[in-house]
This record gives sequence, structure tokens and C-alpha cells, in this order.
Amino acid sequence: MPKWGMVIDLETCTGCQACTTACAMENNRLPGENWQDVLFYSEGEYPNLNLSWLPRPCMQCENPSCVSVCPTKATYKDEGTGIVLVDWNKCIGCKYCMVACPYGVRFYMDEAPAVEPDVRAEFPASGRRSWNPPFKMPDEYEDASKGIGIQPKGVVSKCTFCYHKVSQAPAGVADLDEDNPETKEFTPACVRVCAPKSRFFGDLDNPDSHVNALIAEKGGVRLKEETGNKPQVYYLSGGGSPAVPGNRSRRS
Amino acid sequence: MDEINTGISRRKFLATTGTTGALAATVSLGVPGMGLEATSAEAQAAKTPNTVVTKNICHQCPARCGIDVYTTDGRVHAIYGTADHPISNGKLCPKGPLGIYVLYDPDRWRGPMKRTNPNKGRNEDPGFVPVTWDEALQTVADRLNGLRERGESHRAAMLYGRGWGASCAGLLGTFGGLYGSPNMPIGHSSMCSDGSIVAKGYTDGNASYNSHDYRNCNYLLMFGVGFLEAFRPYNNNMQMWGYMRGRKTPKTRVTAVDVHVNTTLAAADRGLLIRPGTDGALALAIAHVILTEGLWERSFVGDFADRQNRFVAGQTVTAAVAPEPVINAETGEATSPEITGEGFVEKWVTGLVDWWNIELKDRTVEWASEITDIPARDILATAREFGSTRPAMAIFERGAHSHTNGIYNGMAIHSLNALVGSLFAKGGMAYQMGPSYGPMPADANEFKDDWANNGDWKTQPRVDKKGSSDGYLLARNMMQEIGPNHLAGDPYKLDTVIFYQNNAIFTAPNGQVWEEAMKDVFIVDTSPFPTETGHYADIILPDHTYLERYQDSPTYPFEGYPLTQLRVPAIKPIYDTKYFGDVIIELGKRMNGPMADYYRALDSAENVLRHLAKGFETDPGDNGVNSWESWVEKGVWYKKPYFWQQRDGVFFEWDGTDYNREMTPEEVGQKLLKTPSGKFEFRSAALEANSDWIVGATGRDPANLMFPIWEPPVHPGGGDLYFVTPKVALHAEGRGHNIPMVIAHLQPTVGGRGEAFVEINPVTASARGISDGDRVRISSDAGSIEARCRVYAGVRPDTLVLPMEYGHWASGRWSKAVPTEHCGEATVNQSDRITGQAMYYSTKVQVAKA
Repeated sequence: MPKWGMVIDLETCTGCQACTTACAMENNRLPGENWQDVLFYSEGEYPNLNLSWLPRPCMQCENPSCVSVCPTKATYKDEGTGIVLVDWNKCIGCKYCMVACPYGVRFYMDEAPAVEPDVRAEFPASGRRSWNPPFKMPDEYEDASKGIGIQPKGVVSKCTFCYHKVSQAPAGVADLDEDNPETKEFTPACVRVCAPKSRFFGDLDNPDSHVNALIAEKGGVRLKEETGNKPQVYYLSGGGSPAVPGNRSRRS
Repeated sequence: MDEINTGISRRKFLATTGTTGALAATVSLGVPGMGLEATSAEAQAAKTPNTVVTKNICHQCPARCGIDVYTTDGRVHAIYGTADHPISNGKLCPKGPLGIYVLYDPDRWRGPMKRTNPNKGRNEDPGFVPVTWDEALQTVADRLNGLRERGESHRAAMLYGRGWGASCAGLLGTFGGLYGSPNMPIGHSSMCSDGSIVAKGYTDGNASYNSHDYRNCNYLLMFGVGFLEAFRPYNNNMQMWGYMRGRKTPKTRVTAVDVHVNTTLAAADRGLLIRPGTDGALALAIAHVILTEGLWERSFVGDFADRQNRFVAGQTVTAAVAPEPVINAETGEATSPEITGEGFVEKWVTGLVDWWNIELKDRTVEWASEITDIPARDILATAREFGSTRPAMAIFERGAHSHTNGIYNGMAIHSLNALVGSLFAKGGMAYQMGPSYGPMPADANEFKDDWANNGDWKTQPRVDKKGSSDGYLLARNMMQEIGPNHLAGDPYKLDTVIFYQNNAIFTAPNGQVWEEAMKDVFIVDTSPFPTETGHYADIILPDHTYLERYQDSPTYPFEGYPLTQLRVPAIKPIYDTKYFGDVIIELGKRMNGPMADYYRALDSAENVLRHLAKGFETDPGDNGVNSWESWVEKGVWYKKPYFWQQRDGVFFEWDGTDYNREMTPEEVGQKLLKTPSGKFEFRSAALEANSDWIVGATGRDPANLMFPIWEPPVHPGGGDLYFVTPKVALHAEGRGHNIPMVIAHLQPTVGGRGEAFVEINPVTASARGISDGDRVRISSDAGSIEARCRVYAGVRPDTLVLPMEYGHWASGRWSKAVPTEHCGEATVNQSDRITGQAMYYSTKVQVAKA
């Protein structure tokens, strides 16, 4: 059983948001409903202004606080992949998980649209479906029990690590690399498009995976380790040994 | 066909071209191969057995990234980069995946239409009603035929924006030559980046954008290029960035120059915030340091005969005098004695000594610091790094040359490349080779009648006065002048204008003039979408979107070796639209006289493309593309390597195995440094040859106008703040403004989501009582607009920055709903008299709370 994880190299990330738009189209997200966002920050005064950015997917935590608060067990950790998913058949839209998530990466569908006119009205759907874009993903990919595809009204959604792709990967493969023709089609959209190759996707339980090598060699860190959520997304920021130690470090 | 069940192995599949054809030339996901690939691909295919992948090229910027378009059950649902495409390499920029929305945009035109309201204006409803293609085309043809019969064919024009290749814009010049109009076509290059092209033409003889070898470059000095936002090919730039900055040894060092902190400056080693329009002063000071500190590349530039560096600030130097050749009395052979003395001996450059004496000797870092507002220590550090790191490139674009002094800013920056020997070097810059296309189905020259060959139209100037001594004698195009010239009836009034990929009424600086001017012109628009220009149209002939059409496109300057790609329709056209190439051919067939026979010989755009592909039969691409069918299947033909390389001041040509064949100076002049001297000209012979006209038109000094000199920029508009309106990553060429996902992410650096903010420095804002989030009014002599303020400490206090994108008033519903107004309406229409470059960044404005 793989434990899929992602490594994001902040040293080469250009802040272009291709991860954001590729995710939105692959997963039929509403405009501005960014499962995979890039957050921008600035500090300092002219002329010494520091502009920085942080790409932020779901951290796919090992110990996800969103799962433990869910009253209907709609949110769960998929055993076969280590991916945190939402069963839209069980979700009641109470938003507890949105409060519990330390990373702000859960989304409620029935909010005011980020961009007007509302595309849900432009591409209306029948029944519980919230909209029906003409570019909808293939029917075979849709799976409400995993929160994949067109979302029903009144539920919460989140990044699936492109479960519909990743779960089709050959058994035992250590890394899903878009530059490898054999794994290209199973690589998550945000990783596949990343032009500076700042994203890497692989099995954290496989000691030989490239992602584990990168975390070791370049000093991968996780966000908000104090929460104990144990993200499966690691960030690299230069690779030098002096670093702010994370919770998983042992003092020597 | 079903690839899975044919038993074709991957190897066999690759070796066999043309196993599929036409629209069915699509590759199922599950091409079986060896081992893991077969397993994985089949598993994937089993889940979506009806998925087909077609090759195409992204349409949202000029880069021409190869894309794989995924279609399942008739729905196009995904776009990814083509893995074996040299530009995209499987990757995309943020615009790439959104192409699907372009196809399904609900605001697209449904078919051809004609106008019923004769009145034109922003607030006039055109009253479009559907017509048949036959009626629409015949209406246009009748109009063109009528003009020609009256001897007024010069009053018809075709204006194009992004032309892609031989099957669209490539057909326009032929049409103009057969029909008889100097205005068919007029390109948009003066509203794009001619300042760069022309500056290169006057110094190294290649009027073109450069190809670049970033992979081997160790230092990048960038002037106003937005390398991580807008410089093309953006997607590949970012791939190179990841390599140069992450995996390459040594890591490429980067200094970026701009007027605000964007992602490029933030990601660079050094960001220099320069006063707008003064990039040339910075480049001159860098050149000064390179010379005084002895950092120039002697193998390319040359040296003092005695190898003592005599470049000292404020002091002149002398050129070496070549001694008379010694003639051997017996053999008659001439030999040149070695040059001695204190003079400078130039190698692949001309005019260095004069340039130094007339201009450079006084261009110290302290002098430049005053002009550029950049600390002297930063200029000095940049110059030393740039001059001592090889290979190094200085690249520039509109930020540097979209000013009245643009020609000189561009020449000064490009001269840095000569000083460090980067031209045609590994890790340096070169120029783009073209593809091995086959001949067109027919030769247009055989279909010319007497009017085409000798008609009075040949005596008419172009309506934009390109090439006219009372206009822009040296420019390549002057599209921005067409509206004002037509309005004034000087040189004459246009009658009919066909627009292709061109929304000039919106994009021209001070487009309000065009709004008035185009009221009495019969306008044909061919965009698939409603536009401001389309709002003035009498006939709409909507194009297919790019996922619905065959279309060729040779690469934009990239890595030098030839490359051309193909758009292949993913699905049949959704609406009653027609590819623009076919519109031109169908119009041609309806013209009187022999030209109709030419277009009957062309038959269709697809037939043209099939003839172009015949060139590949005798010159197959590196990826095996040797036919129309294999081009359709792979989407790209390319052939490495680039043919030439300059190494340590010696030029070599590829001999089939390596850069081994040394070139003669004559060959270098013919093929690479295409100036009159066959060298890089600090003293531009071509400018000098036009000295009289330049003096008359600009009042410049004939003693120095041929050198890269400092000239203060002129800023019209009447305001106190510079107004810079850059392109951002999701804008590129502005074709995405109606895509909700673009609107949601346009200007992320300052939180511009849902609209574009004008960036105002905190000091500037507070002095005017403006707070963050306030709606402000930006005014110049051209007009005034409103936008919302974002107080941002990353922008110069003397500059406002508002990305160009919004303010559309006749576009799709999403675009029109964005509250930001159009920066072009506050931008004065002013052009560089030499390059013809429209100056989008030279206006000065005032800002106040709205």
C-alpha cells in the first residue's frame, strides 16, 4: 500500500498558478474555488520589499483533524492510498471539517460565486448536481463516494490528490513522475503541469522513492507541525542544513 | 482505429507513420508498449476506453506550446503539454489548461452575422442578425470587387494580430498582391515589440527576436521583460528557470530590472527598481564598467594593440591604424604586418572607439545612478557580475524600449551582449531558423492581372505611413496610426477593413480615437468572440476556436533550430464557424479576374497544409515526422541542431557531426551578422545612412545619432506619475479576459482576484489621501479611467502600475462585469519615430480618489 506524498520545491517555484488552473480544470472546480491555491505575501518597505509565495494544496495529513471531527464519517482516510477523501453521499455540509482543518483547504460549494456571472447558473444541472460544465471529466472518473467529479449541492469538497489518476498507477511504483511516460497519466494535475518542475509525487513509505530522497537531501519541512496532523506534503526551501527544526526531528 | 487491438508495439508504432489519418488521427491513451508502460497505460485506458488525444498548439500566447487535447465521449475535458514537444515538454503555464473554456465559452458567436444598425458607437446596438456564409462572403467580395473596379483597391485593408503561419496570416500578403492594396496586410508588430526587433536590426543586422540558449547561460540580466510573467515562451522560460535556478551547476545568477516588484524580481538574485524609460542609461554605465575594468570579451570585441587597457573614465582612446600590406615583389602576395601601438583593434565589432569617445567615456555609474534612481553600488556590482560571468545574456523587451528613446535603450542593452561575446555563443543568443515547408499548391505570380502588376495602387502610400518620409520611414508597421490617419483622411480614407486576431479599437493606445475613426469604415471581424472591434463590424465571419481547426505555426524564436507545429481539431466545430484561412480562400474564389483561379488552385486551408508538409518528405524531423499524416499524429516537426556557433571569436558551421567548419568573414556577414560591415555595429551604418531623415524628423544630432546614446525620454500626458501597464501571466495576449478562471487569478501578487488593482506606493497614496481599496481616477491628456487602489510598497513612488486586461465594453459577459477600466484610454498614442514602437509605458498621469 503506498502512502502518497508530495514535495514542493520553493526554490524553483515561480508562483505562476499553473497548478491552480490545471487542478481547477481537471477536477471541475468553480472559478476561484482553489483546491490548489498559491498564496502571496509581501513585507518590508520600498525599495526593499520582500514578495513571496506559497503553493498550498491539501496536506493529506497522516493524522487529519478533519476526519476526527466529522459527525457522519463522510471524511475519511483512504486505506489504499493514504489520501483524505470526502464521501459526498454522507456529507451533511456542517463545515466542522472546515473549522478543524489548520490549512484552510476545504471548500463549501454553496457560497457566493468568486466571479460573476455565476457559472452554476450558466451551466445548470439537474437533480443534486451543482452545475454541469460542458468540459466535465469523463463519467468513468466521477465517484461521489470519494468526492470526485461534479459536486452535489450542500457538501464540502477538497483536493483528492487526483485520486482518479493516482489510484490507477501500477502497483509498487515508487514515484509518479510526469516526465516518465509510464507514469505520466497517473500523476496529479498540479504536479504534471508544473513547468519549473517544483513538484514531486511519490510513495513516502517506499524508502527508495525520489520524494524521500529529496526530503532527506534538501531538508523537507512540513507546515504547522505543532498541530500533530503530520502532513504528507513537504516543502523544500534551499536545501542547506541550518533550518528551523520540525517536530519529526530528534535533537542530537 | 483501435490501437489496443491492433497488436502494434510501441516501437513498431513509432516506426510506422501514418497509421491513422485526418480527424481520426488520434492516439488512444492505451498504446501498448513494454513492461510497466503496457500495464499502466492499459489500466488507464480501461477506465476511460473512449478517450482520444489530439495534438494542438496553445493559442493563448505566442509561445506555441504543443498540447495534448483529451476528448472523451465527445467532450473535451483536459489539456496537458505534449511530452515530446521541444517547447512544452509536457508542461503548461497557467493559461494552458483553460483552453477548454475557450472552446465552450457560452459567449461565442454562433455563426456569420450582418449588422442592421447603420449607426456605430460604443452605445449603439449593432443589431446583428444571422446570415448564411454564402451571403456573408459574397457581401464582402462584392465590396472588394467594387473598390477594385473603381481603381480604389488601396482603400481596402487587412489588419492582423497574432498570425500563426502559412495557412492564416501567411495567405494575406498574397491576397494583397493579387488584389492590389498596400494595406493587405498590416501587422501589429509596432503595437507588440518592434522596438526590440529594430534595435537588433541596427546593431547586428537581424531584425528579429532572438533565440536563447538558457540551458547553458550562467548570467541573465533582464530589462523590463517579465521573464516569469509574460516573456515568451513563458512555459519554457519557467522550465528553464527551474533548471537554471534549481538543478544547474553552476546556478545561473539573475539580475532583473523593472519598475515594481513582480515575481521575476522577487525570484531573482537582485531586483533593480528603475525610473521608467532610463534602462539605456543603466546599460551604458554597465558597458562603461566592462570597458574600464577590462572585462570585455577580447576574442569577440578585440583589444588594444599593445594589450594595455586604456579605457579610463573621461579619457578618449584611439583606433589602431592598420599598416599598409607588404607586397611580395616576386609572388605579388600581400601580407599584413602586425598592428602595433596604442590603438584599439576591433574584431567582430565596429565603432567601439568612436562610441567610447563620443558617449561611453562619461557614462559612469555615478552618472547613471542620478538618471536611473538606482544606487551606484548596485550598478557597479551588476556590471562586475555581468562582465565577469560567461556566458551571460542581456535581454530586454517593452519595459525598456516602449519609450521615445527606445531605439537607443535597446541598442545599448543589446551592445552588452556584444561586449561579453554572447552572440551566437553557447549559452548566448542567436536567431531562429525556418522550417522545411513544401511549395504552395500554386504560384500566385502566375495569377496576377494588369491591375495587380501595374495598377495605380502601387503608387499609394500605406495608410499607416510606414515607409513614408512624412511618417515612419524606418518602421516595420504602424498599426496604431491607422485610426488617427483615417480620421484625418491623411493619406486617404479607408473603405473596408478585415480584422484577424486583432481588436485594435481596444488595444491601440488612446483607442477612443479609433472608436470615432472606424464609424464610417466597412468592418469585417473574424474573431470567434464578441470584441470592441466586432462591435463596429458590418459583417462577422467567426473563426473556429483553436481546438476545432487545422492550422500550422512555425515557432516563435526559441532555440534556433527549425520547428513547426500543427493544430489538429479535437472535435468538429460546435457552431457554424469557419477557419480564417478558408475564409480568405473562399473570398479569393469570389474575386473577379484571374486571382479567383489561384484560390481555386489552393482549394482549402487543409490542402495548403498538406502541400507544406510535403517538404518533410525529403527532410524528415528528428521525431520521424515525414508526411502530413505523421505531422498530424505528432503535432510537431523539428530538426536539431541550430547550424552555427561562435566560440572564442571564431564562427563555426555544423558539418553534420559538430560545429567544426570554420566560417569566413564573408559567410558570417551573409548568414549571421547581417550588417553592412558584417560585424556587430556599435556605430550603426544603417542608421547613419538615414541620418538626414532622422535629423529632420527628430532633431537629433547627426554626430552621434548612429550610436547607442543616452537620450532623456519624453513623457506626454500632463501628469506627475509614470503609468506602466504590464502584461501578467494570465493575460499574455489578452485572449483570456472572458474566462472566469482567469478573472479569478489575474494579479495574484497584490491580491487582484476578480479585478485588476492599480499598485500605488504608500507614500504616493497617503500624499493624495488615497487608502488601500479606494476607487481612484487616473487621468491624462488622453482620457481618464477608474480602478481600485492597492497600496503596495513594491512599486516605485513615482509610478502607477495597472496590468492591461480589463475594461472591455463589448466583450463576453464575464469580462464586461469586471469593474476595472481600460488603461489604454489613459495612454497617449506616441511612437518611437525610428522603431515605430507604440509607447504603452511613456504616459504620465495624475491620480486622485474617485
